[in-house]
Order: sequence, then structure tokens, then C-alpha cells
Amino acid sequence: MKFDTVIIGGGLAGLVAGISLQRKGQNTAIVSTGQNALHFFSGSFESLQEAPPEMHSLFEEAGIRLHYREGVRLMPLGTFRPSCLSLEDISLFPSEKFARKVLVVNFMGYHDFFSSFLAEGLEKQGMQCRIRFLNLPELEKLEQSPSEMRSVQIARTMDRIWEKVVQEVRILLKDEDAVLLPQVFGLQDTSVPGRIKQGIPAQVVFCGTLPPSVPGIRTQMLLKRRYEVLGGTYLMGDEALEAHVHDGVVHSIRTKNLDSHYLEGSHFILASGGFFSKGLRSNPFSIYEPVFGLDVEYNPDRNAWYDKAFAADQPYMGYGVKTDAQLHALADGIPLKNLYAIGSILGQTHPELGSAAGLAIRSALEVSAQIKK
Amino acid sequence: MNANEFDVIIIGGGITGAGTQRDCAMRGLRTLLVERSDIATGATGRNHGLLHSGARYAVNDPESARECIEENMILRRIAAHCIDETDGLFITLPEDDLAYQARFVEACKNAGIAAEVIDPAEARRLEPAVNPELIGAVKVPDGSVDPFRLCAANMLDAKLHGGQVRLYTEVTGFIREGNTLKGIHTRNLQSGEEADYYAPLIVNAGGIWGHHIAEMAGVQIGMYPAKGALLIFAHRVNNVVINRCRKPSNADILVPGDTVCVIGTTSTHIPFEECDNVAVTPDEVNLLITEGVKLAPSLSSTRILRAYAGVRPLVSADNDPTGRNISRGIVCLDHEERDGLKGLITITGGKLMTYRLMAETATDLVCKKLGVDKACETATTPLPGSEESSYEAVAQKIWETPSTAQKAMASRLGTRASRIRTDNPYDRALICECEEVSVGEINAAIERMDVSTLTDLRRRTRIGMGTCQGEFCACRAASLLAKAHACVEKERADLADFLNERWKGNYPISWGDTLREAEYTQWVYKHVLGL
Repeated sequence: MKFDTVIIGGGLAGLVAGISLQRKGQNTAIVSTGQNALHFFSGSFESLQEAPPEMHSLFEEAGIRLHYREGVRLMPLGTFRPSCLSLEDISLFPSEKFARKVLVVNFMGYHDFFSSFLAEGLEKQGMQCRIRFLNLPELEKLEQSPSEMRSVQIARTMDRIWEKVVQEVRILLKDEDAVLLPQVFGLQDTSVPGRIKQGIPAQVVFCGTLPPSVPGIRTQMLLKRRYEVLGGTYLMGDEALEAHVHDGVVHSIRTKNLDSHYLEGSHFILASGGFFSKGLRSNPFSIYEPVFGLDVEYNPDRNAWYDKAFAADQPYMGYGVKTDAQLHALADGIPLKNLYAIGSILGQTHPELGSAAGLAIRSALEVSAQIKK
Repeated sequence: MNANEFDVIIIGGGITGAGTQRDCAMRGLRTLLVERSDIATGATGRNHGLLHSGARYAVNDPESARECIEENMILRRIAAHCIDETDGLFITLPEDDLAYQARFVEACKNAGIAAEVIDPAEARRLEPAVNPELIGAVKVPDGSVDPFRLCAANMLDAKLHGGQVRLYTEVTGFIREGNTLKGIHTRNLQSGEEADYYAPLIVNAGGIWGHHIAEMAGVQIGMYPAKGALLIFAHRVNNVVINRCRKPSNADILVPGDTVCVIGTTSTHIPFEECDNVAVTPDEVNLLITEGVKLAPSLSSTRILRAYAGVRPLVSADNDPTGRNISRGIVCLDHEERDGLKGLITITGGKLMTYRLMAETATDLVCKKLGVDKACETATTPLPGSEESSYEAVAQKIWETPSTAQKAMASRLGTRASRIRTDNPYDRALICECEEVSVGEINAAIERMDVSTLTDLRRRTRIGMGTCQGEFCACRAASLLAKAHACVEKERADLADFLNERWKGNYPISWGDTLREAEYTQWVYKHVLGL
């Protein structure tokens, strides 16, 4: 099977690169293991404020609305972080004290939304809080099974009964000028968060839960749908195993499902992620890139990989595949002419491209532009 | 009698202290136990969790071997819910001297340990994970024991007999009249509150920290801190304990426990200053892996879950401050007789296996001094939760058709599982999915088992001990603790401490899946949840 570009990795970086190339008329394929960082996406594009011009229209066409305002956003454990470019349903406030009184609404038996931490965090900023638990018969089926009360399962139910939540919140609402709800709305129907905001006569704020992240899964779904509408081939649940490289040029890759039907391409993009997504692997002696055997920038002393403080910046998170300035990946010190690395597999080797979601977007768009040059 | 007056005060909340308190309380004494940290934070919770048959000591330390096998049989009866009767193998590898086996078996027989030489092929059938190259094998009655559960059950029984427990309470000094100790000055390390307690007898059961306790009272015990490092693997690779049949050495015991297995140990003399914060070094990790793979080759491809280390409270013989002739035997010091200091007894040396005998020895001395004539019953009275021998039978009696989560709970709590609320879905909801710990069990532990922090909760319920190392359950459980203690702010700091403590056991082995899990956890807490 031959494509203009073969992309390894179906997370944010891989999908954005794929859509961008399809928009420019290329025929591409994405090989995705199904496991990527969008599953724990906060909904905010770290290290981005304004969307690059192409990103804005690309997301708009996929049905994903973005916004930015200078200020702060509320984190699930009740702390605040500086704003960055965010999905429309992530609230951004000019300052921490975004309301006078806040009604924090949780579901009975739901432990993945930290209402007491949130209330304490808001009270610290001078907002009065009242926590109330909704007891919805529709969630009873989930409650019966001890591990079913999780974000995605609740979100599936909420797609059906969100109007009931609006009614219940309206009944509970006294003189509060803001309502805080868990981010379990609009998994399939993206209009739901907006309609909830219209239905409740107070400022409605959605705040994150333990992963999986509902906005992250929704984003993944919408981008994938858009990619396929544009004619891209998304190979779900497949995995790149090895590459065939001659004279500094990648000819094809072999995948787990397609086996001897090699995926050939004029260009290849490696967007297979960091350690979690298995783009980078490690053993006691080395950190390596498993598909192409690319050069990885890391400290050979394994005791230098970590900081002993859990919360410190961890050196291993900065490690990544080595590239040249155009993001061609290096093998044995020599750039492969038609292989590019994007997203978290770069670690912090290109600080000018930002980190996390910002890095994914910037590097994906830059490589897409290179390929179409 | 004043509320601050007791018959006996026990210093130390490890297994020795808890066992001594139980024994004293069962003999009708009014007891107080003080511990400056949580239960089982020293050597008690930092070992293999091996229910020794005594075979390991048979050749070199026959007295310890005999004590081990006797206590082994007693613990099977009184602590059923803390014990897994796995049996054990002592294997001889091609690089070992097979002649040692005969000497070993003879010594076991002399100590009263049922040691049976079996064919290597039989050993491979009994334990498929064993190194197939073995040239000899001996079967012995080893097992595994959960030291946290054992310690908690002893303390619980002491409380059921009227004992009082003060955790996070440090002894800051002794109340003294001439050559007699009358009581202790204490300070609560969480609230800062100071209090004095009085008793005619004080038992020093502080493990390696007992050295300083004795010093504070003006007497010397020559303790010898020996650090031992261990690794936990994420699967239960073996179902039978695997030992090397040779003179005790590094990393030659592999013990299955719950869903994991543990390889250890090393032995390094360390200064007293390091006892509070022992870290596992890269060399120790390498040694444990290299030697462990010789016992069970599949360990080389098994994920390592954690690295940890403990400090053995060894005691030098009285006239041997160099530490050359150190036995694992029990040391009970009557400081009145030894040093002319009335009111203080030190119980130390020994090991997890012989804790009950240590407690009996100390309590006998306490009773003698107080003129109490009551026999010890701890060898025959089951610990709370251990009234039935099979947790599956327990689970079936309580729920008829128990779920896997209910069975897991019965295996942790024994018959006490019947007290956990499971009648409504909110109590059944799982907080920790790896270990299947429910809201009901966590709330019960918080209510009844002196839980201040998430780490305390882990020692009593196993939350955060599974493959995810607390990734998801930590913040869920933190919400429950915040509610129970009505303080979110403290809980926020506690959550950070808990994650730091989990990371401490992960970073020495941070590669492969451990690094993968760590990246996920660190990213989620920092950038997604905003801790």
C-alpha cells in the first residue's frame, strides 16, 4: 500500500499533521495503537496562546471551537494555572475570583470529581461555596457495579439526560452566581456544554475529572472523523514494528496487522509519543526509539534520568529523538531525508516549539508545511 | 486512677510493640502504646514478609531456627488471615556445593523443621518458575505473612482488651526519680500537643530506634543497624518460596505475597543517622536483579514495581561492641538487673517471625515485676479476623456468592470483613481498582484504625500498593480522608507526601513500564489535576 505520507501515531500531533496534509491534497495513512495522550488532555493547549492561522481553521472545520483570554483556568484539585489556548468549554477567567458564591455540583457516588478540593480552593480565593450531590436514577445502573462510575460511562449517560441535570441544578440554585460541574458533558453531542450554559441562570464552569478526559476523547473523535472525511486512512489498533531504510531514505514500514503488506510512502512522520505512548522505550541501560532505532538525546547514566522529588521537573521527560532544524530525525548522526519527528517524542529537544499540546500542534504544522514545500 | 496512669507503657508501634501490648492487655494490664510515626514503619513493614520455617538459620543459628519453626506453627493457627501457606524450596544450583544440602537437612531435622529432599524434576513441577537448571531441592514449611495486617491485628486486639494507642507521639524524655523511671514526656508530632504518662514499667520496643530510647534513659544497648534492600515484582511469579541452599547470602530468597513477589535482601552496616531515611542504591538494584534471576529466570522480563529497604535491629552481644557475633536471637534486657535502672525493659533482636515469643518474654518479665500471676494465652488465641482458616470460606459465610472484591476484602480482614458495610452501592464503589478496595473498607479503616494520612491508610488497606502505585486511588482516597478529618488543606499536603513516598520506591527502578507509569502519573498530577 502506497501513500504520499505515512504517519505513525494517532494522537494530537499525528491527527493534526494528517488533516493538514489531506487538506493540501495528499493521500495519507495514520497507524494508531489507540493509546495516546489525548486520553488525559486537560482541554488546554499548554504553551500556546494564540492558535497558529492554520490551526484555527483546521479545528473549526473539525467542529472544535477554541478560545483564549488572558488570565487563569481552574484545575481539578482546586488550584489555578495561567490561561492558555483552550477548548470552548474550558472556562478562562480574568482572575481567580470569578464569582461571589459558587454552587459545586457532583453526582452521588462519583469519586473522580474532587468537589471538596475545589470548594476549598475557591474559598481560599474569597468565594463562598456550597457542595451538593445529585442523586439521579439514571446513574443507578452504573452505581451497581463498583467500578463503573467513571468519566466516560457517566458522559454517555449525560448525553441523554443532560436536560435533567439542568433542571436539578436550577432547583438547587439559590443566590449563587456560578455553578461548577464535572466535565462529563458533550462526549458525542458537542452542543451540550453550550446548551447547559444557556439553561442555567448563572455562570456555568466545567472542571476536569480524573482521566479518561471527556473533552480529550471528544477532541480525538472529532479530529479523527475530520481526517477520514478528508479521505485519510486511519489504521486503528495497529502498531508500527519496523522500518525499511536504504541510503538515508525510508521506503516502507511493517505493521502488526498488515504484516507483509508494507506501508510505503514518499514521506514518513513519527508522532508516536513519549514513554506512556511507547514512542520512547527504556531498559536499565538505555532509552531508545523502537521502530527506526533513531538517535535519542538522553543521559547514559540512568541515575540522572529522574529527580527524587515527585513534583520536580523530571529530566526523563525532556529526553527525545534527535532531529535537524527541519525536524528530520537522525539515525547514527545523519538525518533521514523523508522522516520527520513531531509531538512528545521530541521531548524538550526543541524548546522553541513549546511543550505538550503546543509542541504537538506547532511541530505537526511545521512538518506539514515542509512536506508540501 | 488518673487517665494518664497505666500499668505498663510500650514504646514502639512495630510488631514487637504491638505484640507486647496485646499480651500485656490480655493478661489484664492497663496498657499504653506510643509510636512516633505510624504502625509498622520500621523493620516490621520493610522485610520479605517471609513466614520462615527456620531452615535458613538451621546450620548457623540453631536456636533461632527452633524458635522460628515453633512460631511458624503458632502463627498458622492464630494469624490465619495474615498468612499464605505456600511452602518453600531450598534449591541448589550448578554453581553451589551440593554437599551443603546434607548438612542443611540434618540441621533442619535437629531443629524440628520438616525438610524433605525432593527430585529436581519434582521441584520444577511444584514450582514451574524455579530455575530449571537446579541440581537439588529441599521442601520446607515456609510461607508468606503480611506484616502490616499482622501488626494492625495485634494492635486492634490490644485495644479490644482495653489498651490505648497513641500514634505520631514521640517520647521526648523520661520522668525519673533517682534510679527509677516513673513515666514518659511525649509530644504529638501532628498537633504539637505535649503530655506526660505514668507507669511503673516501660517497655522499650523501638527496634533500631530503641538504641536512642535506651540512651535517653541513660543506659546503653549496643545495636548494630544492618540495612537490607528488596525489590517487589509486579506479578506473583512463584507460588512457592524459593531460597538458595547455601550459607545465607545476598538476594537469595524470593517470596510470593498477595499479587506480587519480593526478592531480597542485601546486608550493609549503616550509621544510625541514616536509619530514618534509607534509600536503595543502583548497585543494590543490580545485585538483586542479577541474583534474583538465578532463582526464577522469568524475573528478568517481569516488571519491577518498587525498591525498598529496611534496617534490621541487630544487637551486639554485651561484651562485643564490634558486632561480629550477631545472632538473630531474642534479647530481653531487664535494666534494673543489668544497669540498676528500675522501671525499664528493652525487648529487641529477634525477628518478625518470633515477635510473639518476644512479646511473651517481655510480658512474662513485666508480670513478674508487677506481681501479676496470669499465663500467656497468645499462642492459642486467634487474632481478631483469624477465627477461620480460609478467607474464601469467610467470604462465602458473609455474602453467599461473594464478588472478587468481597473475596479480596475477606483476604485482608478475615472475619472482620463482616463488619464492613456493603449493602448500598456507594459503600461498594471501588477506590483502588488494583487491589479492589471499596469506600466501605476505607471509611471503616479511617474510623477504627487510627488513620491520619494516606500512607497510614495504605498500610491498613493496601491502597496504592498495586500496579498503578496510587495513580488513581490516591486522590479518590484523599477526598474521603479530607471529609473524615474535615480538612482539605492538610489533605492536599498529605496527597503530595503520599505521591512522593510512592515515587521514592519507583525512581531507583525507573525504566520500562515503571517509567511509563511514572510519566503518566507525574503528568496527570502536575498538568491535568493541578496538585
